[in-house]
Order: sequence, then structure tokens, then C-alpha cells
Amino acid sequence: MSTQSSERVVLLVDTDRCIGSGMCEMLEEAIFLIDEDTNIAGVLGDGSLPSERAAVVIDRCPASAISVL
Amino acid sequence: MTNTADNNGPVNRASVDLHDAETFAAGIPHDAFAQMRAADGLTWTDAAAGDRSGFWSVTRHQELVTVSRDTSTFSSAVGHIQIYDIDEDALDARASMIDLDPPIHTRLRRLVSSAFTPRHVQQYEIAIRQRVRTCVDAFESAGGGDWVKMIAAPIPIGVICDLMGVPEKDHELMVELSDHLVAGTGNEALDPDAYGNTTELRLLPFNSPAAFGMSEYARRLGDERRAHPADDLISKLIEADVDGEQLSDEEFANFFRLMIFAGNETTRSSMAHLAIHLVEFPDQFDRARQDPSLLSSLTDEVIRYSSPILYFRRTVTTDTVLGGTELHEGDKIVMWYAAANFDETQFPRAQTFLADRPQVPAHVAFGGGGAHFCLGASLARLEVAILIEELVDRNLSLEIGDPQFVPSNFVNGIEHLPVTIIT
Repeated sequence: MSTQSSERVVLLVDTDRCIGSGMCEMLEEAIFLIDEDTNIAGVLGDGSLPSERAAVVIDRCPASAISVL
Repeated sequence: MTNTADNNGPVNRASVDLHDAETFAAGIPHDAFAQMRAADGLTWTDAAAGDRSGFWSVTRHQELVTVSRDTSTFSSAVGHIQIYDIDEDALDARASMIDLDPPIHTRLRRLVSSAFTPRHVQQYEIAIRQRVRTCVDAFESAGGGDWVKMIAAPIPIGVICDLMGVPEKDHELMVELSDHLVAGTGNEALDPDAYGNTTELRLLPFNSPAAFGMSEYARRLGDERRAHPADDLISKLIEADVDGEQLSDEEFANFFRLMIFAGNETTRSSMAHLAIHLVEFPDQFDRARQDPSLLSSLTDEVIRYSSPILYFRRTVTTDTVLGGTELHEGDKIVMWYAAANFDETQFPRAQTFLADRPQVPAHVAFGGGGAHFCLGASLARLEVAILIEELVDRNLSLEIGDPQFVPSNFVNGIEHLPVTIIT
């Protein structure tokens, strides 16, 4: 986590696959938000993360709904 | 048709009887699971007496994740999600979202999922901490006692009942009913008339009369909320609109029972096992005392190591190959979470309890992902984390007696655990 040199990638949520588990929101609350009405995740701001952190959030999404743009 | 293992040529068979609750009487059968993980292909177990067919066991992390995420090939709605088969009318009578596939599963899950998102769950933190402190205070001033009765049982039931809107005076009844539900997965026959039951046991979840008791309770509480809605999940379910329809009484009762059971039994197991971890691996908790940033990974390690739910079953809907084993439509696939959580290829030194174990790959105590990923994962993690924090803070020296495990091949629960505080 100490290296700042990592490349940033932009993430996307596949809203058909999303089950609203909130794993993304738990890990990266600055860029993911579960919509209170639809219970589907959305991306906030530019949706970008350092690539290592993006890899974690992609791996931990139980619905495999997150991908790199 | 009763034994599809015959179609595969030489087949690996489990070295222990996975039907028998006794196999799990001393905890997770790690040696047998290690053999199964090391075997080529999946492992076969013959049908139990009176059941229609045997089953394939999935014990490796990778295949468990594959099965979890492919609900069209590995169905929860076709056949039962427990190993033993039940009749169609019994399946219908007990169906809740856990026994269904998308898209209907998704519609039901979305009725309640907003209450369990990480942001939403954070708002319960203060109330949970209050509950945890009250319980740990009482335990401390008593100098110890039954860890399950004093700590592990009251905290999660209190939290889930608050969310649901079950009044405090009925929390103990919910624990009792939940315990009797699990008893249905053991070897002992249950009294069919308990809790005023009038339903054939085969139609009840876990074949337990407590399921009837819980449904009756849900109905009464539902009626009350219909008249006087409140800001709780029961009111939400009562008012729910699923494709223009309300939940039927039965659907509502099944939903209620699932939420109480899932919110109670599972977190309780992790909290019970936590006492054993504290005594067996004190150095790992010392590390968290010195470095509070380890709380998150330590929480996941407690949950991985305790693996509260041992398995869920799926049923194959179309011929396929998994892990080199040919599977046929109708085959039973049993995902042993407690085996995959100790898969050395994913969790190096899996038997070692590590406060800083990497959180990727994720353990599968909440399931291997996909539609049925544990709805309450964030809530459970928060509850366990707060209890760890409180215990690490107080730095009590504990001594434990022999745990009495729940006799079940389905849950890795602890019924009683004597713990004394050494002064």
C-alpha cells in the first residue's frame, strides 16, 4: 500500500449482475455507493482506483459485477 | 440413477460418513477434508439410508466458487439445499429466497438488502457496542461462565431482532426456537408436537417443530405490524411489493424464519469459536492490540477459522464437468465451506491462525459469491469486529473447558463453552 507509483484504472459495475452485497462499498466507500432504492451499486466521481486496490475490489465482489473500463 | 458415481469409472469416496452428525462432533473433520481436496476430481458419498441418491462433495476453493456463482447449472430451487431429499410439497412449503434461483431470488432479496449494506449497517455500531459491553461486563463481574449463554448467543440474536423489530422480551424465545431448528440436522428424533405443532414434520424446515413455532410467532407479529407499522424489517416485509403482489403469509413466515436463523446461529458460532481462538492463539490478539489496523483481517480470520456453516447443497440442472468429474442432471453437489476455507492452495498454512492473513482470496464462510452470498456479511463482520475489539481492549486472561459442539453436519456450532477468567 505504500507505493504511490501504481497506475489508476477506472471501474464499472454491471448492474444486471450486481446483487447489492455492498462488498465494494465496504472496501472502497469513496467510489462505490449502493443506491438506497434500487440496491444496486453505482460508481462515484471518476470511479478510478490504483490498480492493486481495483484488483482487490474486483476479486471480492461476490457477483463478479465489477470490471475495468 | 441412484448412484451416478458408477458412470465415472474409479471414484474417490469420502473416508468419513458425511451424513453422520457424529463425524462433526469434535469440530471440522480436517483430515478427511484434506484427503478430499487432494483427490483427483470430486469425492462421492453414497446415499444415506432412506434417501434417494448420494452426492458429490466440492472441497477445493476454486470449484466451490465456480458452483456458487453459476446458479443456472447449480440450482438452489431444483431439489433441496440440504443433502437429504424431500418431496416437492415440502420444498414448496419451506421455500424462502435461499431455496430459489434468480430472477425471483433477486426480487425477494432486494426487499431487504438495503438494510444490510455496509453504510446502513454502520448506523447500528453504537447499539451493537452497547450490547457487547453489557454482555462482557456481566461476564467479567461473574468471573466467567458459559461463554455461549453469556456472550455468543445474546449478542447476535439481540442485533438481528432489533433489525427485524422483535421485542426484547422475545429474544430468548428466538434463541430457543433457533436451537431447536438446528437440532433437526442432528441424529436425534424430535417431538412432533412441540411448540403446538400441527404440521407434518416432513413439511417443516429442518423437519423441526420449532419451524412451526417460529412461523406462528411471525404471523402474530406480522398482524401487529400490519395494524401499527414501525421502522423495522417486519413492517417492510409486510408492506413489500413483489411484482405487484404482497408476500403470502407463508412466504412472510419463511422469510422471517430465515432471517432470524441466519442472523443468529452463524454469528453466534463465530463468537463462540472466538473464545477458543483467544486462548489458543493469544499472540495473534496481542498483535491486534499493538496494531489496531489488523482488526479487519483478524475478524475475517476468526470467521474463516470458525466456518459456521459447514455446507450448502446445489442440484445440477444440465450435464457438465467440474474438477474433472462428469456430472449429470439431477446430481447433488455439496459445497463444504469448512473444507474450502482450509485449502492450502488459497490459504498458505491454512491451519495457522494469522491476524494479518491476506483478505484476498476471500474466505468462503459467507459463501463462494454469486446470488446467495451472505446477505448479512457486513453486519456479521461488524458484530464480530466489535466483540474482538472489546476483548482485545480488556485483555482478559481466559481458561476454557471442553466445548460441547452442536451435533450437526450442517453447522459448526458450539452449544456450551465453559470459560473462566484467571485473575
